[in-house]
Amino acid sequence: MNLVSFAMRNIWRNRERTIVTVCAMALAGSIMIFYGSLMEGFMKVLERNMIQMSLGDIQIHSPGYQNDPDLYKRIEGVSSILAELEQKGFYATPRLFAFGLAASGPASAGVNIRGIDINREAKVTTAYKHVLKGQWLSIKDPKGVVIGRKLARRLGIDLDSEIVIVSQATDGSMANDLYSVKGILKSVGSEIDSVGLFMEIGEFQELMVIESGAHEIAVSNPNNKIPLASATKVVAELVPSYETKNWRELKPLIAQILDTSDAANIIMMTIVYSAVAMVILNATLMSIFERIPEFGVMKALGFSPMQIATMIYTEASLQAMLACSLAIGIGIPPSYYFQNNGLDLSNIGSDSTISVAGVAFDPLWFPILTTSTILTPIIALFIITALAVIYPGIKAALIRPVEAIHHQ
Amino acid sequence: MNKTASPYSIVSLSTVSKIYKQGKIEVKALDRVTLKIKKGEFSAISGPSGSGKTTLLNLVGALDTPTSGSVTIEGIDLSELTKTELSILRRNRIGFVFQAYNLIPVLTAFENAEFVLALQGIPEAQRRRRVMGVLHDVGLSGMEHRKPDELSGGQQQRVAIARAIVPEPAIVLADEPTANIDSGTADSLLDLMQLLNKEKQITFLFSTHDNRVMERAKRLITMRDGIVSADEEP
Repeated sequence: MNLVSFAMRNIWRNRERTIVTVCAMALAGSIMIFYGSLMEGFMKVLERNMIQMSLGDIQIHSPGYQNDPDLYKRIEGVSSILAELEQKGFYATPRLFAFGLAASGPASAGVNIRGIDINREAKVTTAYKHVLKGQWLSIKDPKGVVIGRKLARRLGIDLDSEIVIVSQATDGSMANDLYSVKGILKSVGSEIDSVGLFMEIGEFQELMVIESGAHEIAVSNPNNKIPLASATKVVAELVPSYETKNWRELKPLIAQILDTSDAANIIMMTIVYSAVAMVILNATLMSIFERIPEFGVMKALGFSPMQIATMIYTEASLQAMLACSLAIGIGIPPSYYFQNNGLDLSNIGSDSTISVAGVAFDPLWFPILTTSTILTPIIALFIITALAVIYPGIKAALIRPVEAIHHQ
Repeated sequence: MNKTASPYSIVSLSTVSKIYKQGKIEVKALDRVTLKIKKGEFSAISGPSGSGKTTLLNLVGALDTPTSGSVTIEGIDLSELTKTELSILRRNRIGFVFQAYNLIPVLTAFENAEFVLALQGIPEAQRRRRVMGVLHDVGLSGMEHRKPDELSGGQQQRVAIARAIVPEPAIVLADEPTANIDSGTADSLLDLMQLLNKEKQITFLFSTHDNRVMERAKRLITMRDGIVSADEEP
C-alpha cells in the first residue's frame, strides 16, 4: 500500500460525491479551454482584420490629414519615400482617398473611394484575399471596382453591375465616371463594408485629377522583424515632416482590447474557478468530517500532521488529474471542430456581421487551439484545487487524536 | 531525552493531574496520580464512568498532555518531546486497541495490520513476513485480503490487536476492547491477548468495565474521581 493507492481508495469511498466534484472541475476546465480558444481566435482575427486587411502596421499622413481628411493634404515625393522604406526592409503602399456618391439605377449611397496601388497593396494588406464574390482589382481592367458587402446590398447591385461615381475633383470640376463592379468584399471593417469602394490608383488619379502624391502610405513590418515601436521610430525618422503612427496609436481602443485580453481571460477563469473551488472545498470538508475518527486513529498510530495534509493533497491532486484529463477530452474536440469548421454566428446581428470597435468579423468564428489555451486552464485548475484544499488540509492535519478517535 | 525512570518500568506517571475546562468550570479528571507499569504486565484500570480511566490511558498513550506532573515511557519524559517526536514515539513504541476497533475501512486486514510498519519504513518483504505471522497468531490466516466490512466484530478486533502488536511496541493500550463484542468472542480475544502477553512478553494495559478482563488481569488498578483508589495484584 502506498500513499497514491491509499488516496485513490479514499476518493472512491463516496463515488457519487467524487464524480460530481470531478465533473464540476472537468466542466469548468473544458469551458475554459473552449473559451480560451474562442478568445484566441477572436483576438487573432481582430488583429489580423485590422492590420492585415486595411490598416497595415504603420501609416504616414500629411500633418492634420487624419482629423481633417482634405483632398489637398497629400504626401509628396511618394516614390522616394517608398524606395527608402523598402531599403529599410519595409513594404509600403500609397493610397488616395476621396468622398463621393455612388449610384446604380435609382439607388445611391455615399462612398469612400480608395485608390490603391494593386501590386504594392498586396504586399502590405490581404484585402485582396477577402473577396466574397467576383475578383480583386486588376490593372488590366481599370474601370473595374471592388465594393464592400453592405454597400452592394444598399445599392442593390451585384457583380458586373454598372455604378456611377460622382465627386469633386481637385481642380474643382465634377468628377464622374461609369464603373463596373468586379468584386464584392467579405467583411473587412465596418467602414469598408458600408462605404468602401476600391479602384486602381491610376484610375483614381484620373477621376480626381490628382497628378501626384498620396493621402496615406501604409507600411508593413514583414514578420514583425523589428518591434513595432522601433519600426515606427525608424519610419518617422525617414519622413520627419509627416505624421507617422503605428496601428496601436491609430486604433488605441483595439490595442487596449488586445492588451487586456489576458486579463479578461483571467477574470473569466476566476469567476468560473471560484465556483469550482467552492465545490472542491465543500466536498473535501465533507470527506474530512466523515473521517475525523479515522484521522484520529491514524495520528494515534503515528501519522504526522504533515502526512495527513499530504494525503489530503494527494486525494485532491488525483481528482484534479482526473478532472484535467476529462477537461482536455471534453474541451478540445469542440474547439478543434470549430477551429476547422467555424462557429456560425450569422443569427447574431441583422446584417450577418459583427463589429467590434469598427473591425468587422465574419459570421463564422474560428477558435484557435494553442498550447497556452489548453495548458493555462489545466494549470489554473491544479492551482485552484491546491488553494481550495488548504483549509481542509490544515483542519485535518490539526485534528487532536484524543478527541477525534471518539468523535461521533 | 531525559532518562530518569527505572529501566524496569515501561510507563511511569509521577503526580500527574489533568484538568479540563468546560466553559468556566474546571473538571479534575486526574488528581496527582503516581503509577508505574512494568514490562510484561497484564494490567487493567477499572472504575466507574468519569473516574479518569480513559484520561489516564490517553496520557500514557501520548495522545494528551498532563496539566501537571510527568509521564515517561521507557524513561522518555513525554513533556520534552515535540508533536512530531510524539508521533514517532506512538508509531514505534505504543500499540492501541480501541473499543470501536477503528480500522481504516478502505484497507484490507493485511494493510491495516501493516499500516504502522509501513510508516516505520520497514521493507516490504519484511513487513509481509511479520504481518502474515501476526495475522496467523491472531487467528486470521486466510482473511488478510478482507476489508473491515467483510469481517465480524471479533475479527475486526483481532485485526486491531494485530495492528497493535506487529510493530513490537513497549506497551499495548486497550480501551474497552471487549465492549462491543459478544461474550464468546470477548473470551477468545482475551485468551489471545493473554497468550501474546505470556509468550511474547507484550505489556498490556486495559481500561475496562468488563469483569472478564478484570478477572484475568494480573494487576487491577481501580480509579475513582481521578485518583487511584486501589492497586492490587489478585
